[in-house]
Amino acid sequence: MRNGVVVFALAALVLAPRPARAQFSLDARRVGMGGVSLSRDGNVRRYNPAYRAVKNKNRVSGAPKFTIPVPIGLIQFFKDHPINQLGHDPMFNPDSAAFNPVELMDIVFNPPIFYEVKKAPTPTNDVEFTLGKNQLILNLGATRVLIPEQKFGLGSTSRLLDMGFGFGGINVGVMGFVQYDVGFTLDSALHQFLTDTTVGAQPNTNYALLGDGIAQAGIAPTVGFAERLTHGAGGPETDDGFYIGGALHYYLGATYGRGLGPAGFTTGATVLGSTPTPLLDGTLLTSNKANGHGLGGDVGIVWISGPFEVGAGANDIGAQLTWSDTKVQRFQYDTAGDSISTTLVANHVESKTKLPITYIANAALHMGTGTTVGGDVVNSGRGTVIHVGAEQRTGPFAIRGGISRDQRKKMQFGAGGGIRLGPIGLDVGFWTHSNSLSTQRAITMATSISIY
Amino acid sequence: MKAFAAALLVLVAACGEGRAIFNIDAYSFLAGTGKDTIPYTIPAGLSGTASTVQKINLPPGFGSSGIDSVRISTGNANLINATGSGSIGFQLFFASDSAATYSAPLALNIPPTSVSGAQTVPVVITGDLTGVVDSLFKQQTLWMRIAATANNTGVTALTGKGALTALVIRVVLRDKIF
Repeated sequence: MRNGVVVFALAALVLAPRPARAQFSLDARRVGMGGVSLSRDGNVRRYNPAYRAVKNKNRVSGAPKFTIPVPIGLIQFFKDHPINQLGHDPMFNPDSAAFNPVELMDIVFNPPIFYEVKKAPTPTNDVEFTLGKNQLILNLGATRVLIPEQKFGLGSTSRLLDMGFGFGGINVGVMGFVQYDVGFTLDSALHQFLTDTTVGAQPNTNYALLGDGIAQAGIAPTVGFAERLTHGAGGPETDDGFYIGGALHYYLGATYGRGLGPAGFTTGATVLGSTPTPLLDGTLLTSNKANGHGLGGDVGIVWISGPFEVGAGANDIGAQLTWSDTKVQRFQYDTAGDSISTTLVANHVESKTKLPITYIANAALHMGTGTTVGGDVVNSGRGTVIHVGAEQRTGPFAIRGGISRDQRKKMQFGAGGGIRLGPIGLDVGFWTHSNSLSTQRAITMATSISIY
Repeated sequence: MKAFAAALLVLVAACGEGRAIFNIDAYSFLAGTGKDTIPYTIPAGLSGTASTVQKINLPPGFGSSGIDSVRISTGNANLINATGSGSIGFQLFFASDSAATYSAPLALNIPPTSVSGAQTVPVVITGDLTGVVDSLFKQQTLWMRIAATANNTGVTALTGKGALTALVIRVVLRDKIF
């Protein structure tokens, strides 16, 4: 059991572009501005096809060519957890009395790349069960506030490659896509059981965690178009103007799998008069062949007028894949055998999947006094993140600040600064986050070197 | 069962290095079954013992945990004496099956309480069981035997019953749940 937790956690550590990652950045300048990016790379080009027609230069005068993160957190982490001793490290060794799954999961949700100035305290409190023949009451103590009221999980849409060639405003290419989303919802009975310290479990009641997960991947030949429709007051030599862009994708799905259904337990006529019966009734759909196909598209606009720039773009609009050869299986808990039985419901049948629509809206104002302010709204497939930030440059110095609302709708704050010495700059950014399994925010210090 | 165990374990794990505390209402398993009363009939000048045995279900998966403490946190009984005079005490035994409760070491001894004639005498049952029954409380099920030991000091038969009214066992486990 413990080994299973470790394997899961480590796998998630490798695979998880979890919800919080949408606002996670390796750039200390961006961290210091609450996660907003004032350059025309990264998110805006990923989500807004109109930016293909906009010159890829930074909107901030004196902005670096590229940035190299300084992972101070990793140095500290491997000092505390030497690689050659990981097998015996209490953090990764389930047999150790000091093993704490919560700390391990915190690493998954909050990779120790940067230095944690203030760590979120791991919830540590007693868990109290009151057991009787017809009574099962759970008191999680302070940890109770961590029980989610809404759907929770992991999810992301990624474009692993996007290559092609262009002529005029036309671009032809192919992109790879990977999308996954794993979500869980506590049914109302289970939620009450976990949070109510007086009522407890009731007889003849289902307590279930409702799971719904999907993963799909493939490639998509793409035809795109991006063009500046009008020149602004600055004329054609400047970036001023109104830009539009779009792309049509023909998705060729390579593989997909989807599982959904409840898992939990059912109490008997008396809550603990008999052992609660496990409840599992899941359906699993998997593609037999790499033959998913479907159409979808991206659209975007950008308007630039002197110091002001605003854009909006959306991806995978109408992207629905049809899989003509799908296997449908049902998994149920077999009470008699205390095992899980598998039933083939249907084979070689058609099924459909969708790619979530992702989008960005961004705006920036370069004031000409060394001050730049900007903001963006990003949805990478699992909730919206809002960033607003500003940077003030004075000579070789820069100060930054910003706020954001993360995918859990919590406000976070960023601040930082930097100094440029010739072609090299050093930037430091602080940001609060709620990525850890804790009710309190943590503060991370990001550091990076910029090359000008 | 494994799923239920896993669910409980995850809940405890989510609380980091805290302890798992179980307040087991043993009386609830006895109430309404007739096993919550122990009738006694002891001839004059003799001693005797009457018992009731009950199975208790516990959450699974705590076999690797360390026991901090096991104690009777709340326990009450009434000695409802009908005739005769003497003294009644209680003893608690725990084992992994019902038969073994008769050979198990004494877990808790409640000193005798004097009774005389038709009267009801309340008795408080509390005590520390730590060290005697630790390993049993890491199992999914265990059996408990409550014995009433009666000593008739009078010249007529000592008759009546011991009626349990509350019995809560508090078990505190240290983190080692997987």
